[in-house]
Amino acid sequence: MVHEDYKELLPARALSALAAEDSRALDAHLDGCAECRAALVEWEETAGFLALGAETFEPSPVLRESILKNIGGVRVDNKAKPAELIAPAADSKVLPFERPRRSDSSWGRIAAIAAAIALVALLASVIALWQQNRRSQSQLAQISTQIESANIQLARQREALTLLTSPGARMASLSGTKVAPTAQAMLAYDKKGHAMLMAKGLPAVPEGMAYQLWFIKDGKKMPGRVFIPDSAGNGILEDEIPDVAREAAVFAITLEPQSGVQVPTGSIYLVSAT
Amino acid sequence: MLHAVARGDEDALARLYDRYRIILFSLLVRILKSREEAEDVLQEVFLQIWKRAKDFDESRGKPFTWLVTLTRSRAIDRIRQLGARQRLAEASSLEMSEAVSDAVADTLHSEQREIVARALAALPEEQRRALNLAYFDGLTQSEIAEQLDTPLGTIKTRMRSGMIKLRELLGDQVNGLLGPLTN
Repeated sequence: MVHEDYKELLPARALSALAAEDSRALDAHLDGCAECRAALVEWEETAGFLALGAETFEPSPVLRESILKNIGGVRVDNKAKPAELIAPAADSKVLPFERPRRSDSSWGRIAAIAAAIALVALLASVIALWQQNRRSQSQLAQISTQIESANIQLARQREALTLLTSPGARMASLSGTKVAPTAQAMLAYDKKGHAMLMAKGLPAVPEGMAYQLWFIKDGKKMPGRVFIPDSAGNGILEDEIPDVAREAAVFAITLEPQSGVQVPTGSIYLVSAT
Repeated sequence: MLHAVARGDEDALARLYDRYRIILFSLLVRILKSREEAEDVLQEVFLQIWKRAKDFDESRGKPFTWLVTLTRSRAIDRIRQLGARQRLAEASSLEMSEAVSDAVADTLHSEQREIVARALAALPEEQRRALNLAYFDGLTQSEIAEQLDTPLGTIKTRMRSGMIKLRELLGDQVNGLLGPLTN
């Protein structure tokens, strides 16, 4: 595996969901890759938020007392009360640090004004730096989103390849109709009915609309999922083909409301050969 | 707060408990499906926090992440000790038993919970299911693929896509989430 392969393992690692072999390989990579270590920290943060998805329960009130009682007998390394860390002991030979007395002279007032001006200037610099940092972070986030999007596309293409090379895999080609003459699509599916549609050249969809996949067998139209293509007209969709439609079915794509419909209402944009 | 706990400040541990008890206990109940086991493990968790808070390294994550990771890890260990992992995984889709049906409102973190709930609701069902089986049932990708009778490659894609989307959905609000949870 190369660096990019290890990066793809990080989200699953944050969920502790990797197989032992992958996990060991990733450990070895993490030892020498600061970029992946930093990325893993972020993925672990995302995974941690899943804890907030659990239904909420309150432990019994006696548990708090029990815990606090139990820790009373357990020594902590580096144990020291916070006050002890800063306050000298009674027999300490360290003299307390006296605060300097204030001078009420005009020089003092001038110095105070100068300090205030310097503080304002410093604050202005900090704000400017903060704004610059925010802009940089925003640009970085945009780039990161683009990379993630490309990774998703790549993962889906790999998935399609896996599907196509699986035993008993089948493929159907869909051609654009007169409303989308340049559109093309390919539907790959395995014997369990797991299917992946890859379309290109589709027109942009109006607000609130999406393309919907249909499985047609003996005139019966069975609804599939909806998808919205990207700005270049490309779209990828995963779906499950109903049992009855796995043999000699026709596949079609229509334009429908974004929530999907049970019976086709819009124009056909893509259709497979009968 | 964790730094104070690391110095042996018992009041800081009490404050930490008051702030995080519902989050951590709810996580334990969800994983262990038992109040008794959850309370037992929560005691272990806070004892470990008391002894190990000095190991917390801010450069390797935020306090909230450290606490939930530690808690989840303890809970998954307990499931494995109990040898009931498969049974619990199968039960994950069922309703909670009566023994844990006294859910409460976590007023301290209600806003954060709503944000996460909305983000999770926006994920496709199959992605959310893969994340939940991994996070709350401690299943590996292979085990999830087997349980759902789905190709391993599909599960890997769902899990990765789900995490990416979850991060995107939480992205804009993550600072708001982290502030109150990490003080």
